[in-house]
Amino acid sequence: MQLLSSLIDGILIGFVYGVAAVGLTLIWGVMSVINLSHGPVMALGMFSTYLLFANLGVNPYLALIGVAVFGLVLGLVIYTVAVHRVISAPHLSSLLATFAVNMIIIGIGTAVFSTSPHNIDFSLGSISLGPIILPATRLLAAVAAILFTALLYIFLYFTRPGKAIRAVANNRTAAELMGIPSAQVLALSFGIGTALACVAGGLIATFFPFTILSGGPYELKSFVICVLGGLGNPLGALLGGLLLGGLEGLIPTVMPVSWVPVLEFGLFILVLLVKPSGLLGAKS
Amino acid sequence: MAVLEVADLASGYGEVQILWGVNLTLEKGKLTTLVGSNGVGKTTLLRTVMGLLRAIQGTVTFAGQDVTHLAPHARANLGLVLVPEGRQLFTEMTVYENLEMGAFSKRAQAHVQDNLEKVFTLFPRLKERRSQKAGTLSGGEQQMVAVGRGLMAEPELLILDELSLGLSPLLALNLFESLLTLKKSGLTMLLVEQNVQMALAVSDYGYVLAEGKVQLQGEARSLLNNEEVQRTYLGI
Repeated sequence: MQLLSSLIDGILIGFVYGVAAVGLTLIWGVMSVINLSHGPVMALGMFSTYLLFANLGVNPYLALIGVAVFGLVLGLVIYTVAVHRVISAPHLSSLLATFAVNMIIIGIGTAVFSTSPHNIDFSLGSISLGPIILPATRLLAAVAAILFTALLYIFLYFTRPGKAIRAVANNRTAAELMGIPSAQVLALSFGIGTALACVAGGLIATFFPFTILSGGPYELKSFVICVLGGLGNPLGALLGGLLLGGLEGLIPTVMPVSWVPVLEFGLFILVLLVKPSGLLGAKS
Repeated sequence: MAVLEVADLASGYGEVQILWGVNLTLEKGKLTTLVGSNGVGKTTLLRTVMGLLRAIQGTVTFAGQDVTHLAPHARANLGLVLVPEGRQLFTEMTVYENLEMGAFSKRAQAHVQDNLEKVFTLFPRLKERRSQKAGTLSGGEQQMVAVGRGLMAEPELLILDELSLGLSPLLALNLFESLLTLKKSGLTMLLVEQNVQMALAVSDYGYVLAEGKVQLQGEARSLLNNEEVQRTYLGI
């Protein structure tokens, strides 16, 4: 029973990992940019949720809407300032540009918030499903994660700008030739990817303490998840998140918790070697 | 009235200049063919006209407006539309979504239903396949999607680059018949074709491009009978 409980707990967190990874994989899928500012952006999501909660008393789940809007604007700014000019340059350029953004956010964040841990003091008690007892915040986080992923899906498949994003991801030149302003579409995609990272950060902040550096490990997890699900494939990223979350739930029940990253990244390398297109297959 | 006027246009890739002063005028309602061997700059010319390549010198005037420095999507918004070589479909999207994306520009938005009907009348096959991913269609069907997507853009000028490339002679013939239908409806078109005979046979006017310049131009019929054209491009 302990096993099942840990597994479910892990999967619930996995939904949140999934949202962060969907953001990362969206940016990669649309513009082939490996976004190294993803982690600090998640940390900013944590802090903006915290500030809204601690200063204005906003319910953290309600705050997510504001956090998403903040993330969207932040992403548009990062794209316009740091990414757009190197978008057609070799990958190393955009990699370094986003890494620079990463350093800037961490630097400012350290100056403003210091590196001491913050905590959102918000509990909803726990919910018991038969013998399984789950913290309600995790359950709600999973629900919110599903909600945001569903919204993204609806946006990408049923709205004009969403379809334009898929068109640009599929063939940027053809999209331009059809009158789609690709620069704006790329900026929007980067904004949405960043918004998802902020939302994932906000959700994580409801159950773990955090600092401005806390995004780093989640960024790395997002990379593992993206590769598991096939880089550029949002649905794969969500499922990859569940897989990784499940593993994180199960591993500590049979061995010391310090083995978690060893096995995670072992899996990462294994997938890269054996099936580089991802466990779920993906468009190349 | 000239729909497209290319004056003294030069362009190329980086240090390599390909076009050396091209002059070309497309009249409204006419079907024009651009002929030339591989590597003379046909695709370079189209890419420059569309704004995918920057002009080194010269101007591109479209519907009376200087578009030389406009981005490709802004040109598409004016009705300057290219059906690119190799189709360049949105392979991961359905046929219907491809057509929808063709109508992305503001000028096309108002005519979506009309144009959709036109495209489905011209290519009934696409109606059957509307929910299928474009990448899973046969070559001929994909070319229909490419042309259909171009028509959805409500073009003032439709440029077709290597329409018949890789298609069976029968499929190519069918597509050329569709072009004649479009011509009857008054659409201005520019064809770039390796199938020179077929292209000139359906065209009103023709240009021969060689060494980055227009070497010869005239009524399509007279070009078909031109000895040099026959020798170089028709193998007669």
